[in-house]
Parts: sequence; structure tokens; C-alpha cells
Amino acid sequence: MIVPLNSLRPGERGIVVNILGGPTARQRLVGMGLTPGATIQIIESHSYGPIIISVGGVRFAIGRGMASKVMVRKL
Amino acid sequence: MAMKVVALAGNPNVGKTTIFNALTGLRQHVGNWPGVTVEKKEGVLEYNGQKFLVVDLPGTYSLTAHSIDELVARDFLLKGSADVVVNVVDATALMRNLFLTMEILEMGLNNVIIALSKVDLAEKHGIEINVKRMEEVLGVPVVPVNGKEGVGLEELKEKIYEMANGVLHERPVVPKYDPEVEREIEHITGVLQGTPLAEKYSLRWLAIKLLQRDDSVIKLVLRHLGSEKLDEIMGHIAEVEERYKRAMDLIIASQKYEFIDNLMHRFVRYTKEEGESFSDQLDSVLTHPVYGLIALFGVFYLVFKFVFVFGLPLQELLDNAFSSFGEWLAPHIANEALRGLIVDGIIAGVGSVLSFFPLVFLLFLALSVLEDVGYMARAAVVMEKIMRKFGLPGKSFIPLVLAFGCNVPAVMATRTLDDERDRLVTMLVNPLIPCSARLSVISFLAAAFFAGHQALTAVSIYATAVLMALLVAWLLSRFVIKGEESPFIIELPEYLIPSWKTVTLHSWERSKEFIKKAGTIILLGSMAIWYLSSYPVQMGTGGSYAERLGMFFEPYMRLMGLDWKAAVSLLFGIIAKENVISTYGIIYGSEEAIVGAMTPLQAYVLAMVTTLYVPCIATIGAIRAESNWKWAAFTVVYMIALASIVGIIVWNVGSALGY
Repeated sequence: MIVPLNSLRPGERGIVVNILGGPTARQRLVGMGLTPGATIQIIESHSYGPIIISVGGVRFAIGRGMASKVMVRKL
Repeated sequence: MAMKVVALAGNPNVGKTTIFNALTGLRQHVGNWPGVTVEKKEGVLEYNGQKFLVVDLPGTYSLTAHSIDELVARDFLLKGSADVVVNVVDATALMRNLFLTMEILEMGLNNVIIALSKVDLAEKHGIEINVKRMEEVLGVPVVPVNGKEGVGLEELKEKIYEMANGVLHERPVVPKYDPEVEREIEHITGVLQGTPLAEKYSLRWLAIKLLQRDDSVIKLVLRHLGSEKLDEIMGHIAEVEERYKRAMDLIIASQKYEFIDNLMHRFVRYTKEEGESFSDQLDSVLTHPVYGLIALFGVFYLVFKFVFVFGLPLQELLDNAFSSFGEWLAPHIANEALRGLIVDGIIAGVGSVLSFFPLVFLLFLALSVLEDVGYMARAAVVMEKIMRKFGLPGKSFIPLVLAFGCNVPAVMATRTLDDERDRLVTMLVNPLIPCSARLSVISFLAAAFFAGHQALTAVSIYATAVLMALLVAWLLSRFVIKGEESPFIIELPEYLIPSWKTVTLHSWERSKEFIKKAGTIILLGSMAIWYLSSYPVQMGTGGSYAERLGMFFEPYMRLMGLDWKAAVSLLFGIIAKENVISTYGIIYGSEEAIVGAMTPLQAYVLAMVTTLYVPCIATIGAIRAESNWKWAAFTVVYMIALASIVGIIVWNVGSALGY
């Protein structure tokens, strides 16, 4: 099932399949390791505010708007 | 012989600054990269009797053309300006860090040394790195370094020395892509062959950047190939994208990561399953939308408590020292005018500003500690949602907090915001946040007129100022500097015990601006004040230039219940806000005499207007340097308008209520 990253719940994991949005935002995500093929785990997600994720052992906080552009295959 | 150049490259938060400090010690120079407001740090390393110029490149995750930081780092490496490139690689986040390494090696550089940082931390996480194998696989020297404890530094210096002098050679690995992508690369390099570009750049690198649709490389190639051939290349790329159903830059990036993953299997072993770390547990509280906010207020309460408990006594001490010095010096100067200029002008003016240095330094010290510990990133996360309501990103919280110390370094700190629009809005509302100089005015007036309710008075003025800053930010981002909301993503580095050397150096660098300002602009300003208030006759008689100027503005001041004396004070306050009180002191003969001359309501209006009206000259200068004259002038105009409106409202409402 391919869903946007912001729909995953804490503890759930997904593999990035594509990143939508403009090249600037895309390149920023890519440089940080969020690239097609990378596994992302949701660490914290509350009803509002940024989502805390883990990619390659590193923690990031990502805004909900940006997370909705990261398409993942739910594991 | 010119010094050999060593460039430090790496991701943010990898310990690059600590290594830079360890290599160069105190012999550092901070400036700007030509043409852009990106900080350029340089220092000198001496080893085996040879001197090296160490240049700290901006911390970046990759080398695309999407941000100024990345362009600066990339151009420096591309031009071959560095004799040795030290790539600092964080052992706890190898995959992501090696992405940058691959981008560097892809440029065709063969003078790279990897400084592997945070090895001890990686081991704690169960990441075992075979350094010898890593060297073989990557084809570049790898030196594990702990800048804080000095481990590996000698070896790193030795390697730098050997590479700079041609003793050490390397055969670096270069990323390989899928056959289909490789065919495209080959095709493009074939087209570029024979152009003058071949002499200056690695054609493979240019080809890959073209595939990624890199703006600056497209422009470069266009100049040498013409639009026809370039269009053909771009057409090819679109076909490949069609087959992969993904943008080309994503295809390249994911294949690069795959390549890195395969390399890493050959020198990394994972001995532990990743579990919830201490950092995670802390984060579940500190980034929580509710508890995180409470923690944030707690942390900043402690910061300000720390600054004032230790800073205020020091400030008083310095203030007394300067006035004693003036008193001591006065009888030694025979010429009356000269005595006035030096004692009442320079020493009093510069001294009153310099006495705030302890407060500014301690604030920056506390904030640098929070930054190094890793807390600032969490503060940005907690503030993100709230700040967005006012059109600002969470990250702008940091420069705004710095402003409580001094607006000048706070304006400079807006550089940490990677979106131009966010940066401009944050910069323009920054002067509304009351700095420590305005605190001195507020607390003086509160103590003199509102004994018993000092805290309440001060808090009400601070709250108004912060509210105004948010309101103006909202208006600006909504109607003036329109644009798309910048995407939010921030790394949450693992919590670390800070390196004291890095923290003190950093605080010193930031607070140094304050001293510089005292020595230049405040010095000139103090002399001007002294002149305007001493000629043609001494102030206090009504005949000095300053008083005449004040009387000219009096009709305007009356709208908010103030008189010409306030006008003179506020005028001088533009040079430094502390002057507002000291000018009253000169007019009345003593600062205490102010009490009988005003009603509490007038004093309150004065404090409010002083807080809001115009940035001090140094801040105006900083805004101009970080943006342009137009925005600096805009800031002055909108703040005067805002202060007038608030002043008029407070005065009229206060009067109507019978105060």
C-alpha cells in the first residue's frame, strides 16, 4: 500500500517510493537521506506539530505539509 | 610561498567546528564569503614548521545548487582552491554523510581525507567500523578523530601535511549507477568532449549534474554548447524519467545511496538492534506539543535567570568602574571642552554601553550551550506550529530569542534560516524584541515610577513588544513579502555534552560585535551627543542644539503626552537605547530628578515608545548589511509609525481612565 508519510502512526515503517513537490524541497530531503529506497520509521506523531522520524539511524522533525509529499510503501 | 589551503567539508552537526577549533586554536578569522552573507571561517594550522590556511566550508548535506551554503561550498571545491579537503564524516550517520563524500569524490577530486567523528558514540549504538577496510574500499585515508579529547588530531595533521606535499596519494572510489543511467552519462560526456569545459571540470561530474537539472551547470553548458545540443540532452533525460516514472535527480540520488549501501557492507558491522535511545526518551517530552512547550518556557526562564543573576552585578561593577575612571581623569585635563568631550562624551557614552557586555556575553554563552547540547533544534520543533500562525518558521525562534540580548548578532543569526523570505521577515521584526539596552531603560523607569509593581510594568511592556513583533511578522508575510510557506525539516542531533572550547569561542565571536559597536558607532554617537548638548550653550538652559531640535518635534510628541525632553532623549537613543535615560540625566542634572518631572503614565508611555520606536544605529547597519538599504529604511519607518500609534493609544486610554 502506497501512502503519504504523514498517514503512518508511531512505530510504523515505510519505504520511500517517490517524493512529490518542487526540486528545492526534494533536494533537501534527498540530501538528508530521505530518498527512494530509504526506510523511514515514525518515532513520534501527535495530533498537530511536526512528525519525528528516523532515517538511517538519524532523527528528523518534518513538517506535516512536507511529510504529505513523501510517498511510502507501508511495511 | 603562499600557504597551502585545507578545506573542511561536512554535514551540519558532525563536529566540524570542534575539529576546526582543535586544528587552528585561537588563530581564527570570521568574515563573509564574497558577495553573499554566508559566514566564512578561516584559521591557521602549523605543523612540522609549515603553515596551512584552514577554511571551514558551510555545513551542507549535499552539493546541489539549491541553497547559497551549498553553492559556496561547491564552488570552492570545484575551483580547486583547496590543496587538501578534509571531509568530516559522522560515524553515527554514515550513510547520509557518505552521500556528501560521494558528491565530493564525484567532482574528480583526489586530495580528500576523511576525518571520522563520533566513533565512540557509534560504538555505543552497535555500529562497528573497520577503518582499515573503509580506507581500502573508499580509496581515501580515514582518520578517526575526537576533537574534544584531541584523539587522532596528530595523525590528521600528519596526513594533511603529507597530502599537501604530495607524499600521500589516493585512488578514490566514484559512484556507479545503473547501466541505463551510465549510458546517459557516457553520451553526455561524449558531447562535452572537446569543449573548453573538459580542461576545467570533470566531465562525468558535469554530466551527472546535467542529469539532475542543476541550474548553474545548465547555464554553464549552454554557454559552451548552444541551446540545440543542450535541448537534445534534456530530451534524452526526459525519456529516461518516463521509463523510471521518477524525476532524474531522485533516480540518481537513490542509486547513489544504493551504491553507498553496498560499500558500507564491506566495512561496517551492526552488533545491536536499534532500540529507543536516551535521546528518544528525552525527545518524547521535549518535542511534545504540550510538555515540550512547558519545558521550553522552563529552559528559557532558567537562561534569563542565569544571565541576570550573574550579569547584573557585573554590569553595575563595570558601570561604576567607568564613572570612577571618568571622575579620576577629569582633573587631569585642563582644556574644558576637551574634558567635556572625553569625560562626559566618550567615557560616559561608551562606558554605559560597554557595561552591558557581561549580560550579552552570558546570554550568548547560555544559548551556545543550548545549541551545542542539541536543544535548539527541539525548540524549533516545538515552536514550528505556533510561529507558522504568524508566518514565521519554528527556526526563527532562535534569532528572536537572541534579540533579547542584542539585536545586532540576532540579525546576523537569521542566516541560519535557509529560506530567503523567512530570513527577511525574521530580520525585519527582530528590532521589536527588547534588547538588554532597552531593558535598562524599562527597568529604570519601572523602578522610579512603579515601585512595588516593577515586574508587572516590565512584563506588560515586554509582552506588548513581543506581540507587536508577531503581529508585524504576520502582516509582512501576508501582505508585503508574500511567498510559499517554506518546507520544514530539521535534524535532531543526539544530545551531547558541549565542548567548552567551542561554546566559549562561539559566544565570544557573537558578543564581539557588541564591543566593536561600542568602539565605532557608539563612540561617534557619544561625541555627537556631547556636541549637540554642549553647543552653542550648555544643555539645561534650553539653548543647546539638542534642545532646539527637541522643541521642533514637541508638537508631535504632545500627541502621546510627552515633551521636547523626550524628543531629545529618543533622538539620542537612536545611537544607543541606554542614552534615553542618560540624556534625561543631563537635562535635569541627575537621573533621579526625572521622578518629579513626569507622571507615571508619561513614564510608561516613554518606556513603551523607547522599546518600539527605531532600531539603534548598529542594528540598522546590521539589517542593511544582511539585506539592503531599502529594507533597513523600511524597518525604521514602520517602527516609528508603530511606536507612535501605540504611544498615542496608551496615552489617550490612560488619560481617559484617569491615570
